[in-house]
Amino acid sequence: MNLAADIYMGAANGLREVWANKVRSLLSMGGIILGVAALVTMIGILQGMLGNMRASFELSGGILKLEVRAAEAPEWQQHISGISPGLTWQDTLAFERVIPLIAYVSPVVDLRWLRFSAAGERTRATVQGVSPDFFGIKAQEIVRGRTISDADIAARSPVVVLGSYVAERLFPDRDTSVGEQVRIDGKVFTVIGQLEHLEVMVAGRNTLRWENRRNYIPATTAMTRFNGDEKVSWIAVLGDSVEHLEDLQEQMNNTLAITHRGIEDYEVRTQHERLAEMQKLEDSFLYSMGGIAAISLLVGGIGIMNVMLASVSERIREVGVRKAIGARSHDIFLQFLAEAVVISVLGGLIGLVLSVGFLALAQNIIPDGASIDLIPAIAMFYGFLFSSLIGLLSGIYPALRAGRLDPIEALRYD
Amino acid sequence: MTEAETIYRLDAIRRTYQVGDEAVPALDGVELHIGDREFIAVVGSSGSGKSTLMHVLGFMDTPTSGRMWFEGDEVSTISRAHRAQLRATRIGFIFQAFNLLPKISVLQNVVLPLSYGRQRVPNANELGMQVLARVGMEHRHMHRPGQLSGGERQRVAIARALINRPRLILADEPTGNLDSKNRDRIMELFSSLLDEGITLALVTHDTEVAAYAQRQIKMQDGQIVEDQRR
Repeated sequence: MNLAADIYMGAANGLREVWANKVRSLLSMGGIILGVAALVTMIGILQGMLGNMRASFELSGGILKLEVRAAEAPEWQQHISGISPGLTWQDTLAFERVIPLIAYVSPVVDLRWLRFSAAGERTRATVQGVSPDFFGIKAQEIVRGRTISDADIAARSPVVVLGSYVAERLFPDRDTSVGEQVRIDGKVFTVIGQLEHLEVMVAGRNTLRWENRRNYIPATTAMTRFNGDEKVSWIAVLGDSVEHLEDLQEQMNNTLAITHRGIEDYEVRTQHERLAEMQKLEDSFLYSMGGIAAISLLVGGIGIMNVMLASVSERIREVGVRKAIGARSHDIFLQFLAEAVVISVLGGLIGLVLSVGFLALAQNIIPDGASIDLIPAIAMFYGFLFSSLIGLLSGIYPALRAGRLDPIEALRYD
Repeated sequence: MTEAETIYRLDAIRRTYQVGDEAVPALDGVELHIGDREFIAVVGSSGSGKSTLMHVLGFMDTPTSGRMWFEGDEVSTISRAHRAQLRATRIGFIFQAFNLLPKISVLQNVVLPLSYGRQRVPNANELGMQVLARVGMEHRHMHRPGQLSGGERQRVAIARALINRPRLILADEPTGNLDSKNRDRIMELFSSLLDEGITLALVTHDTEVAAYAQRQIKMQDGQIVEDQRR
């Protein structure tokens, strides 16, 4: 009989034994079930989160985009860091005046979640104060009305460009919200424009739904009517070409060195850095999650080995009978190995089914911003592969012990 | 007895076991010829070496010294795999404790040796049912061994021993766990196997069982001390 037939026979005997000892088999599968479910669930969640990050990355300006963010001054400047005004409106004006490599530049004043109300309807959404250039950086179209103008900036106008979420909730029965008045945290604003609705569907959920909750007012209005100073949260810049990006970054650093009086309490980030950060995050997630999953699977493997060793001890006489009726050592070896593999493969399959349930649960528990792929095929493939390998490895030693039993001694065993 | 009629030939077979520093002989220079379609009963007191002789004849154990032929081929020093192959294809075993696997059905027990027979048997279950019918147990094929009486279990064990159409059946105290009625039924079944070209060798303490055999071999201290034909 060839090896394929031996394996077939081993697997058939293995399945029969697993079926004959359902409770024991199920218990021994426990570790593998949880290990595979944990692995697939974690990778599924991670993939969903990274997918969202990538979608957001593409939406927010692509490779030409740079950001200036506030940072802590280096230790050797800490004692004089107070002389820097921090990130302000003046930095934006300085960029506009002295750097010709900039295509668009806009301050961003994050006002976070604010209350919106109009015509008896209420909702909450995020607001950012920006300049007209912001709409040149952000890849989102205006579908009604207009964007913020230089005149709005100069006049600190109480005007707002609504995202689709607020527009739909405050004015559900109207074609357009343009011209309407809304209250934002009690302050009256006139709607001047409405943004397109963004949608990237993954597993039945829109991964860009949080983008639709963003609304924009003039940066100067945000500074004076909400914050009361010239501070900005960050500055968005779009370069004129990829070739000039390094020069642009250098010129921005030079300009900021002047406006911040030599205090390096800022950070100019390119999208390369953000990409590298995303990659780093992805790697660290993968390593830590992979580690946890590997430990779970290892525990599962030890569980299977333990149960298989107990099974060999319980079935010494059976091994004797099988050898007496013609089984070779390697038939017995294959039978016990196949049992271990069958246990772990079945455990792996149950773990996969469980992981789909866990992912569906996670999708409902994790707040907005995370869309999870309910069936992460690659994670499932690896989960299944690893569980089979664990079964194979953990089954070898018990199977060798069973195969080496002397038939006469085994038949005498009580 | 001609060479063609001889199944086994044992020449000065010794089998010793090491107990501490001492080598204890279980078989001590056994000379034996077993012919085709013989029905042999091996008798003797406990520790006389009769079970060891069965194990050597059944290729479960190897002699320490001496030479042994099976169906004309020398088998004194054959490999483990070869011994397993002979057990799977040429020999059927029957035990005092029946030794059926408790978690599979009667039919699955009966066809189990076919999975070790080195070649695929496409109609295994059909063959299993035929053999079960031969021992009058076909109606219990779906039952588990635990649902059967002792006599029924031994009949199933006989069916398992017959499934590979063996040349020889070796039985170790096959009626030791049975009452007299079942014992007689089993022995009649054994006797009928001779007509199918099967050679039978059984180990027993029971003189009534031994009386069914055509030839009685008495063992003592690892040696054959009496070999009587009827």
